[in-house]
Amino acid sequence: MPAVSGVSFEIGDEEFVAIVGPSGCGKSTILNMIGGLVAPTAGAIEIDGRPVSGVPANVGYVFQKDTVFPWRSVRRNIALGLEYRGIRGEAQARRVAAAVSMAGLEGFEDAFPATLSGGMRQRVALVRTLVVEPEILLMDEPFGALDLHTKLDLHAELLRLWGERRQTVVFITHDLSEAITLADRIVVMTRRPGRIKMVYDVKLPRPRDVIRLRETDEYLRAYGEIWHVLGEEFAREKAR
Amino acid sequence: MRYRGSVLFWQLLILVVLLASWEWLTGIKAISRTPGLYWIDPFFISRPSLIARRFVYLLSDRVRLNLWQMTLSTVQSTLWGFVVGVSTGFVAGLVLGRNDRLARIFAPYIVAFNSLPRIALVPLITMIFGFGLVAKIVLAWTIVFFIVFFNTFQGARSVDADLIHSARFLGASERQVMRTVIIPSALAWTFASLTPSISFALIGVVVGEFLGGESGGGLGYLIIQSLGTLNAADMMVALLTLGLIGIVMALGIKQVETRLLRWRPEYRKSA
Ligand SMILES: Nc1ncnc2c1ncn2[C@@H]1O[C@H](COP(=O)(O)OP(=O)(O)OP(=O)(O)O)[C@@H](O)[C@H]1O
Ligand SMILES: [Mg+2]
Repeated sequence: MPAVSGVSFEIGDEEFVAIVGPSGCGKSTILNMIGGLVAPTAGAIEIDGRPVSGVPANVGYVFQKDTVFPWRSVRRNIALGLEYRGIRGEAQARRVAAAVSMAGLEGFEDAFPATLSGGMRQRVALVRTLVVEPEILLMDEPFGALDLHTKLDLHAELLRLWGERRQTVVFITHDLSEAITLADRIVVMTRRPGRIKMVYDVKLPRPRDVIRLRETDEYLRAYGEIWHVLGEEFAREKAR
Repeated sequence: MRYRGSVLFWQLLILVVLLASWEWLTGIKAISRTPGLYWIDPFFISRPSLIARRFVYLLSDRVRLNLWQMTLSTVQSTLWGFVVGVSTGFVAGLVLGRNDRLARIFAPYIVAFNSLPRIALVPLITMIFGFGLVAKIVLAWTIVFFIVFFNTFQGARSVDADLIHSARFLGASERQVMRTVIIPSALAWTFASLTPSISFALIGVVVGEFLGGESGGGLGYLIIQSLGTLNAADMMVALLTLGLIGIVMALGIKQVETRLLRWRPEYRKSA
């Protein structure tokens, strides 16, 4: 049984797409295929018209799991991408310092991950990916394990950063509010084997205020509409 | 701080009680005033006072090969065996741990060689390398290599795949993945094998010295020589010195380990 089936969509340049769907419907699988970690058994993934094979150079990936290197300090974790590219010394230090302040981690540069909170570690993972300026950003439930307050903080932060750089983002979540807050387009998946159930265009203007936006009519309308569709999926799940 | 102080206090107290009762018990005569008959005969296990005297004597220049030279010889062979065994075991563990095909090909040979009792190899090693330093190092190496190899192998296999993927997405080449993900992650496993490795290196070396005669020198030679002269005190001197070597080397490893693994929560307090 395939994890996903008949999933076909295009993502525009600088577009922010969110994928929502029941657990196990193949969201991570789709992201892993875009990132070249698994090859599709049928069909193809193309970036800029070229088929993906192996990890593409211009793609950044923030994993569902905590992947901060525990043996490196915050500073040296953020420096990883630069180090791999041979950027050292003054240039590296400058960009790392900028990333540290971007993530609000001043004062924790020399701390090891084991001494940080989950939210702080996720910030490290995020700016570590952003510091090498990928054109495409894949994010797999990056804020899934965080409390609402920390989450809202990071939403604002992510939107601000994305506003500056305008990467193409594919953001997976099972949190509908999160999807509406962040995305231009929301892809709703069916339960396993995952198919596309619906694609929703979020018409909220940018820049967005992550708190006030939840009181707008468009937010409520989007939430209601997608919730209805997701609800059908949950019901089908139960009925099985 | 108080905690550490009390630990040290108890350690010293145990040592004193042990030495005192040893000295006292080996001094009680079975029949009073009759020479030679003891409840616990110091002929076999000697006495602390006697050992101390032999210790001083063996350290002096009145003997042909003094204790200092023997200790140095044993330490030197042990360190060499340890360093060679750890470095080769580490590299082999990394290579096979990251290469399934090679691991499969070599698995039966490794298991077969590792199940040989090393002591059975001593005559062969002696035939090839003679009685000197090299033979002792080789013997230590045959043991240490496998301990470190198996640990590093496990460590290299159990590296979190998502950490490797993260490195790839950040632009790492194969070599950079090895250096920044696999080695640091496997090191924790390797370190767990280092303290036993020191003990086993010592075993290898001392066994080598049992056979090596004077040309190999070392504390193993002192033990065998004492057996020849039925001198329990000298044997005890050799054993105590071996114990001391073990403690010092284990402490050295602990130091390095605490530094290199200071990112782990369990090392932070002691660092
Ligand atoms: N390595 C794998 N080998 C085989 N099947 C897998 C593997 N990883 C996942 N699957 C299967 O593929 C399906 C989709 O998994 P995937 O991880 O993509 O789900 P998901 O939508 O990301 O779920 P979640 O929201 O819980 O993260 C699951 O049903 C799972 O059983
Ligand atoms: Mg997933």
